[in-house]
Amino acid sequence: MELLGNLAFGLATAMQPSNLMFCFTGALIGTLVGVLPGLGPMTTVALLLPFTFGLTPEAALIMLAGIFYGAQYGGSTTAILVNMPGETSSVVTCLDGYQLARKGRAGPALAMAAIASFFAGTVATLVIALLSGPMAALALKFTAAEYFSLLIVGLIAAVVLAHGSAVKAVAMIVIGVLLGLVGIDVNSGVPRMTFGLPELADGIGFVPVVMGLFGLAEIASNLEKPQDRTLLTQKITGLMPTGRDLRQGFPAMLRGTVLGSLLGVLPGGGAALPPFAAYALEKRVARDPSRFGKGAIEGVAGPEAANNAGAQTSFIPMLTLGIPSNPLMALMIGALMIQGIQPGPQIMTEQPALFWGVVASMWTGNLMLLVINLPLIGLWVSMLKIPYRMLFPAIILFCCIGAYSVNNSVFDIWVMLGSALIGYFFIKVGVEPAPLVLGFVLGPMLEENFRRAMMIADGDLAVFVTRPISAALLAVAVALLVALVSPSLRRKREVAFAE
Amino acid sequence: MNRRTLLLSAAFGLAFSLAGGLVPGLQGRAEAQNFERPVRLIVPFAPGGTSDILARLIGPKLSEAIGQPVVIENKPGAGGNIGADLVAKAPKDGHTLLLVDVGNLATSPSLFSSLTYDVQKDLAPVSMVMFAPYVMAVHPSVPAKNFQELAAYGKANPGKLAVGNAGVGAVNHITGILVGKGAGIEWKAIPYKGGAAATRAVVAGESNVIINGATATQSFITNGQLQGIAVTGDKRMASLPDLPTFKELGLPAADAGTWQGVLTTAGTPPAMVERLNKEIHKILAAPDMQQKIQDQGGEVRVNTPAEFTRWMDESIAFWGGAIRDAGIKVE
Amino acid sequence: MRPRTPFRNGIDAQELLFGLFLVALSGVAFWQTSRLAAGTAADMGPGFVPRVIAWTILGFGAFFVLRAGILPRRALPAISLRPLVAVLGAVATFALVLPALGLVAASLAAILIGGAAAPGGRLLGTLLFAAVLTALTVLLFVTALSLPVAIWPW
Repeated sequence: MELLGNLAFGLATAMQPSNLMFCFTGALIGTLVGVLPGLGPMTTVALLLPFTFGLTPEAALIMLAGIFYGAQYGGSTTAILVNMPGETSSVVTCLDGYQLARKGRAGPALAMAAIASFFAGTVATLVIALLSGPMAALALKFTAAEYFSLLIVGLIAAVVLAHGSAVKAVAMIVIGVLLGLVGIDVNSGVPRMTFGLPELADGIGFVPVVMGLFGLAEIASNLEKPQDRTLLTQKITGLMPTGRDLRQGFPAMLRGTVLGSLLGVLPGGGAALPPFAAYALEKRVARDPSRFGKGAIEGVAGPEAANNAGAQTSFIPMLTLGIPSNPLMALMIGALMIQGIQPGPQIMTEQPALFWGVVASMWTGNLMLLVINLPLIGLWVSMLKIPYRMLFPAIILFCCIGAYSVNNSVFDIWVMLGSALIGYFFIKVGVEPAPLVLGFVLGPMLEENFRRAMMIADGDLAVFVTRPISAALLAVAVALLVALVSPSLRRKREVAFAE
Repeated sequence: MNRRTLLLSAAFGLAFSLAGGLVPGLQGRAEAQNFERPVRLIVPFAPGGTSDILARLIGPKLSEAIGQPVVIENKPGAGGNIGADLVAKAPKDGHTLLLVDVGNLATSPSLFSSLTYDVQKDLAPVSMVMFAPYVMAVHPSVPAKNFQELAAYGKANPGKLAVGNAGVGAVNHITGILVGKGAGIEWKAIPYKGGAAATRAVVAGESNVIINGATATQSFITNGQLQGIAVTGDKRMASLPDLPTFKELGLPAADAGTWQGVLTTAGTPPAMVERLNKEIHKILAAPDMQQKIQDQGGEVRVNTPAEFTRWMDESIAFWGGAIRDAGIKVE
Repeated sequence: MRPRTPFRNGIDAQELLFGLFLVALSGVAFWQTSRLAAGTAADMGPGFVPRVIAWTILGFGAFFVLRAGILPRRALPAISLRPLVAVLGAVATFALVLPALGLVAASLAAILIGGAAAPGGRLLGTLLFAAVLTALTVLLFVTALSLPVAIWPW
């Protein structure tokens, strides 16, 4: 019960009125900034970092955690309302959230996202309190071979994302991989497909690509239908989820939380995998998979839960090992170091108030989010009633600024423009861009880890099956592949017979 | 780098700051070079790294000193070269500054054949800011407690040792190659995306040797997840007193590590560069700044623009030679 | 199953265009990776994976082009150029104007050009809207969030 004692100790820190206030302020500002298109958690935290300089280390980290959760939730809000993802996870939220919004059900979608986030956040907080030791150990079991096998599973699961043709989905994944390969090759240091542009040396920016591909392309396509005065296709019906929504959403939340907690802890692949995997899982277990992509509430609840749980467990490597699992955590470590704290294995023993205070504040942060956002839903939904001719120029402008703000680079605005053009083309030829995003994120990591594993093992392919975790993951991949191929084979045969 | 000149310049900076505060005449003369508009402090990396942290520590104090806002701009990309290029092409009036890992900057001319600016001709060194030594450490699965055992194991098992580094051409990559060559060990260089990823991989046992910044590495040595072997720099680290320096072991690249410095656009009036140099020295002489920089795993190192220029020239020649010998070419 | 003659029923334009896009994309990839060493599967050079991916994309492209002939005729959905050009034009203008003239000019230009995507609307109202939105943008991003960007050209 020592751990629960620690958690209570942490809660005492987090619940101090001043810390509670910092948490609230952080979550509020984070939500308001994160809701702007293009300003994902990374940019939001970077922009707001200076506001925490004058605070004590605990207060600073608590406020930053609040900003982070707020920004993440703000990002989902934009994804649901205007199909504008600001990070990997909200790409998935777009798929069904935006469709719900167009049907006048933005309120339930937003509320579901908030509830799923809170639920996942609560569970993940307990997971961190009870299991951070073993989970950090798990993270250290993952070497290049294991990452390779995990990424294979992820890419196969990506095929499930598409609700149209599976062949087209695979083609889109491959396009994504190609785009992801642009930039300096980690293993050889050679620039690839950069057209000699130094701006492409670090690869094509993720945020401008998804904003162009999803958001701007959608705007151009929406404006072709002059009859739409607003984004809505149907009247707004209720702001809160119905009993049926909750019944459908709850199991999805549960599965998403488990999946997210596990995948989030892995440095590197963590951030991208949980929401995609959760979506694929929901679609797989659904009685009627055809509802997905047309406004299925589980398609919001599962990924949002997975994302939030994953976001939270990604703190584990940072807090217990001092190793950032993604650029955002690197920024958090920077914030700690500015406060004069060196993150690392010693932080739990040397700074228990900080460690447990932060863990507990994750929970209070999620609570604040619920408190702030449930009342705000009415406001967000009413934004959909703004005439579209006023809304879209503002969105275009914010996208431009958002794309610029990621790296303070005009080049990223041009990347967004190119992506918008390609996204528009994809809409016209009837292919979905979501699988592309997963290929874009995971493809290069797949190559990097494969080649690294080969380099270390002197070109011996056996490493992938002799290491137990890697072998198990590959077995999962094969099983997924079989499950994926067999029903479609059957369907094809049925179609053939029908003709 | 000469230790005495460093101490002298630090002492001079301290003396100057005292004199500047006490003697109004002196202060008046220094401010003959005035700043007329906001100063841009370019950090060519993403927020959160050492350069960024230093910029955020120094920026506000510099703003106080020169009476103009100092705007910190992160301009990441191409290993710092995008931000450096921006400063190289800025107006030559000392209003655009670059805070960068200058050791890294010194490798650029040799790594990239198509650099869009000339590190030596287009940038004017203002002052060094900080030095943080490297720590060499191994995964506990490697049967070595010190460098002699490591070298013996490496020679007996060629190809068994894999040195993780922060990327092809990174200073710790070349340092690894130089050390291997110097000690006659055949070890593999495994590139990662940045030092943190390399550290994680070595703690996980994927690669088994790391040469990387002390901040990221020392807590793993303290709690036994890594075995410390040696440190760079001209003296042992206070926090890891048992580890010998590269110099003691007779290893090459004994000065490798993270060197951070401030540069501006070449062609800036020397008096302006001098003014910036003095202000930075004054800021870094404050005990709380010294403490904060120690918290980043380093120590304050300042020098004059002339010394810094010489340091850059020497570093470019040294790393350039090592890069050519190792046959590394990025572009 | 009755074998179908390719291209007899007309062409599925969506499939054809997507296929051609893939073929073109693979061409760009081959061109850009032509000077990279490929190595072997066990000891890959930097060019290995990009070229495998390019070949795969070429294969998919060919597949979709051929399938376009087999599938029943399908035209492309109508394309209306005005919104597309206005949206892209607004973004391009912003990118060009921002470094040269600052945030205020870039915002105004982007709002006015982007606004032209939807027909109608009175000039005065549009100008007023653009001015208010620009002012809000400056307050939000520069004043509140201290985004490092110039407001004015001077």
